[in-house]
Amino acid sequence: MASISSRRLRKELNEINAEGCPCGIKLLNADNFEVWYFSIEVLGESLYQGEVFKLMFRFDSNYPISSPAVQFVIGPDAQAPIHPHVYSNGHICASILGNEWSPVLSVSAVCVTLQSMLASCKTKERPVDNDRYVRHAPENPKKTRFHYDGESV
Amino acid sequence: MKVHVKHWNAVAQWRWNTGNAEEDDEGDVCGICRVPFEGCCPACKMPGDDCPLIWGECSHVFHMHCLLKWIGTVASKQQCPMDRRTWVTAERKVNNRT
Repeated sequence: MASISSRRLRKELNEINAEGCPCGIKLLNADNFEVWYFSIEVLGESLYQGEVFKLMFRFDSNYPISSPAVQFVIGPDAQAPIHPHVYSNGHICASILGNEWSPVLSVSAVCVTLQSMLASCKTKERPVDNDRYVRHAPENPKKTRFHYDGESV
Repeated sequence: MKVHVKHWNAVAQWRWNTGNAEEDDEGDVCGICRVPFEGCCPACKMPGDDCPLIWGECSHVFHMHCLLKWIGTVASKQQCPMDRRTWVTAERKVNNRT
């Protein structure tokens, strides 16, 4: 029997195919119900004008009860945005991906939140503890217990 | 002219009474699984009394099984997925409308 996650993800995918992604977000790859890739850019005026980033979503079979693991992809053609909540390994410190996840959220909703997180950035800088975090970071950002401070995003 | 009805079929349709104004809106879905309330949660095979809805005092409605799955996790902090208020199950609104 199809898992909860694949049923829910199929619905989300149908919606994306029918209505398209929110502005500035493009679906790059959703060949299965485990890993999806999106491109994301901030439209309009921002510190990231002209920059396009790549997001990876990983789902376990309990999605949306359990949150997706979401991070920026680092590779030859992709970099993580320089942002106070984004580590240089692509991990993102955003409360909705952690302790404020809710099963009524969706992939699109997460994309839009991250987009507005970038759009509202005032200074391009890495998190203060970037080097320390990246040295010891688990492969899956969901295993990190982020400490959220400042405005919740 | 006289008409004799020899045969007839009754057709009935049921719908959960969610108490929401837009009840003729067929797009009323459970926010967790995104399946219509009249369908069943992903864990069930048959819609109906075996896969009921649950109401919170905050007025939000879900498939009971979906909500319980969420509330059963530590991450939920026992909060409603919609408004993050502590989930309190409301008394089932039976017959509040005919």
